Amino acid sequence: MPINWGLEFFDPFREFERLQEEVDRLLQLTSPFIPIRAVARGTFPVINIGETSDSVLVYLFAPGVEPDKIDLSIEGNILSVSGERDASRALKVEKVDPSRYYRQERFNGRFTRAVTLPESIDPSQVEATYQNGIIKVRIGKKEEKKARRIEVKAS
Amino acid sequence: MAEKETKELATREEQAPAVRRERPMIPPVDIYETEEALILVADMPGVTKESVEVKIDENVLHMRGEIVDLPGEEVEPLYVELRGSEYYRAFTIGPEFDLDKIEASMEAGVLRIYLPKVEAERPKKIEIKVA
Repeated sequence: MPINWGLEFFDPFREFERLQEEVDRLLQLTSPFIPIRAVARGTFPVINIGETSDSVLVYLFAPGVEPDKIDLSIEGNILSVSGERDASRALKVEKVDPSRYYRQERFNGRFTRAVTLPESIDPSQVEATYQNGIIKVRIGKKEEKKARRIEVKAS
Repeated sequence: MAEKETKELATREEQAPAVRRERPMIPPVDIYETEEALILVADMPGVTKESVEVKIDENVLHMRGEIVDLPGEEVEPLYVELRGSEYYRAFTIGPEFDLDKIEASMEAGVLRIYLPKVEAERPKKIEIKVA
């Protein structure tokens, strides 16, 4: 390793970081360990999960569905969603003739998905809203699991 | 050739990862034809009618939507299948559409574009008279 070169020619740490980023990216696609409920591309709805200090937020990207046609439930720390979407409703055409489609890429039909949430959640503290095609589910964390700020006092 | 490569390397390193521009996501579309019009429907969850833009430029139909209300800094990602804040897609369209009468609407994250055909282009039934 040519460590006696100037840093601007060869910085081993930067190279390593870059390699790590590449490997991370590869692993996202081909990791041998993926969540058992993970789905292939093209599934509906697409799901993102994030957390704050006191809750877990689940975003289900489900445009054009009727909220009363969706079943959302939580059992233990597993959140399940199922329902049905009639993609042709959005056309606003009185009588839909399937042969008149040039292109059909949007999801149509029944769907069901489940995701595992962190152990820190309290299943009794759930609320869900539907806005702009995204179902946002907010699950509060168990009291003792909420992140607490630790104040650093000057000595 | 080598010079071009070093130039590219230089610009890539100047950009801090945080400000690197994300590529827009490609929304899935359905395209349906009726006698009077072509209807295009695109899934853009998170987009409102204020944050969507539909325009026609030299026989290209562009649709762009920005996701409003993205999670703030306090939300830490745990599991992310959809990474991005913008949708974009474009199609070329023929001259048979009446561009002045194009309608677009946005509802529950679904964009619907109605492209009516010019009157003269609509199929006309040919009447067969019995002699």
